[in-house]
Amino acid sequence: MADTPRPGPRPAQLLRRLRRGLFASHLDTLITVVLAVVCGSGLWSLLHWTFLQADWAVVQDNIRLYFNGNFPVSQIWRSWSWLGLLGVLCILTLMPSRLLPPAMVRLLPLFWVLILPIGLLLLAAGLGFEPVKSRFWGGLQLSLLLTLGTILMALPLGILMALARRSSLPLLRWLTTGYIELMRGMPLIAVLFFGQLMIPLFLPEGWTFSRVLRAVLSLGFFMAAYMAEDVRGGLQSIPKTQLEAARSLGLSPLLTIALVELPQALRTALPALANQCVASLQNTSLLAYLGLIELLGISRSILANPNYLGRHLEVYLWLALVYWAVCILMTSLARRVEHSLNVTGHH
Amino acid sequence: MAVFTTHHPLINEPDSLSPEDTLVSKRPAWRRKLLPILLQVGIGLLVLGAIALLLSNLQINLLRRGLELSFDWLGRPARFPLSRGLLPYQTEDSYAWAFAVGFANSLQVVVVGLILATMLGVIGGAASFSSNWLLRKLATLYVAVARNVPPLLHLLFWYVAVFLGFPAARVSVDALASWLRLPISVEFMALLIGLTVYTGAYIAEVVRGGINSVPRGQWEAARSLGFGEGRTLRLIILPQALRAILPGLNSQYINLAKNSTLAIAVGYSDIFSIANTTFNQTGRAIEAFVLLLGGFLAVNLLISGVMNLLNRLVLQRG
Repeated sequence: MADTPRPGPRPAQLLRRLRRGLFASHLDTLITVVLAVVCGSGLWSLLHWTFLQADWAVVQDNIRLYFNGNFPVSQIWRSWSWLGLLGVLCILTLMPSRLLPPAMVRLLPLFWVLILPIGLLLLAAGLGFEPVKSRFWGGLQLSLLLTLGTILMALPLGILMALARRSSLPLLRWLTTGYIELMRGMPLIAVLFFGQLMIPLFLPEGWTFSRVLRAVLSLGFFMAAYMAEDVRGGLQSIPKTQLEAARSLGLSPLLTIALVELPQALRTALPALANQCVASLQNTSLLAYLGLIELLGISRSILANPNYLGRHLEVYLWLALVYWAVCILMTSLARRVEHSLNVTGHH
Repeated sequence: MAVFTTHHPLINEPDSLSPEDTLVSKRPAWRRKLLPILLQVGIGLLVLGAIALLLSNLQINLLRRGLELSFDWLGRPARFPLSRGLLPYQTEDSYAWAFAVGFANSLQVVVVGLILATMLGVIGGAASFSSNWLLRKLATLYVAVARNVPPLLHLLFWYVAVFLGFPAARVSVDALASWLRLPISVEFMALLIGLTVYTGAYIAEVVRGGINSVPRGQWEAARSLGFGEGRTLRLIILPQALRAILPGLNSQYINLAKNSTLAIAVGYSDIFSIANTTFNQTGRAIEAFVLLLGGFLAVNLLISGVMNLLNRLVLQRG
């Protein structure tokens, strides 16, 4: 083929490749030149602004607020140590599993489930610490807590609903289908609005849920509908022969679901579920408009400080960077889990 | 009979998934039929009981606040100002009209957003197949950045940092509004651009997947017939990819409609912001929520209806 690089001196080869990639035709040359000019000037003004015009004090002075919110300063080590634990867990998960003792690798999922109660213990009270009310939680720490809580609630609920939607009992099927379609048709902010303002209306007198708990409940019920659809997609991809094989081995329907269907369905649905987890993190930002001071909420209150008047661009770029970094981290964690599942799946 | 009971002990568990299966379960027929019915009656009673409990709580709570469910207040004047929109509105107009104005505003941003996001998404998706290295890398960068930043931050960036930060941007929006003779506000533009950029990245991924589903031989055949890159894409690849693209587009469109409620962050008077203001003024949470849901049901049905129609047309032609 003409495409294969012909042997020749290196510079000539490079030139040829450049020509093929950027200047193959007149139109191509035009596109390249226009894009290069636009990107170059955009990049130049961004760099110019970042290093010469922007005043990053609004970020530097408030790092504690962005990460820990209004957590009492005397107790701040508790907040940092939870974030630290989370970081260590991420590193352990991302590490090649041959560098870890096998027992550790097996326990990692358990650690991921336990990190939420540990976080609640560390942040709220318990173990003889001074109790800290949930309205002092904030910043990235609260965003992560909400995300973890949402995922740990929505995933099991979503799996149950996916199974119920395929059940042979018509009533169960109708109820879950109705719930899933209703939830998926609603904008998230309406669900959160319902959760923050209307859950108290449905509770008996004297019952109160904290704002954070109401937020997790509404986010969890919302995400569960989406996760149920992803799991259902996974369930549908399982060939019928698998079920017939399980049946001919004498597995009961419940065992067939637990040992044959779900493991395969979850493996297929994993990329979609990972996207939902990333969406869960992005969704927490909406709570800034419903009275929670998570990462975006605390930034809004920082921007309301007259000392930082008009520093919006700095704060938004910083936030975009933080959200982007956490999203990328979550995506790579998911890819790691996918990889390890595929490896064990082939043996 | 005893011969058949040597199966796994768990076989006599309530058989919720396949009552018609007769290979393994050797239970009498009446039990196979009755058990599911009993189970469903149980579930039904449980759900009804929970709903009744919640509703009775609701009634007690509403009575205590003196807010029995009614829609009479819809006729009263709303008395809150709205940003300029397609439909005329004054503060003396009723709550009902305010909701109608909000619905029209939502519809306006959703329809224009759908068109622009589709254009951006198709360009972005197609660009990732370009032979131009720079164009390809830019498309990848755009998708990677736009998807990993929350939509709310997109809106705030365009509204606060661009339109409020640069007077030139405001002036050009006003110029556009007077040129098109449409009530285009800065808030509308910020919401529109934010939604377009965010949804465009997702649509680009859908389009990329669709183009990927067209066999490579089609590209090669077109090239050997002397078609250029652009014409190959437009006349040969995209029409075939459409079949795989449409279902994905439908869900992205509904996402865009749902994300349009983030208008509240930029102060655009969409249906959610009307519902929110109404609740703040009247305390009518349930009624405002029901109206909001009704509005969204209408938007979703509209989008799904149009997309189903398109889908049928594409399937007929192909």
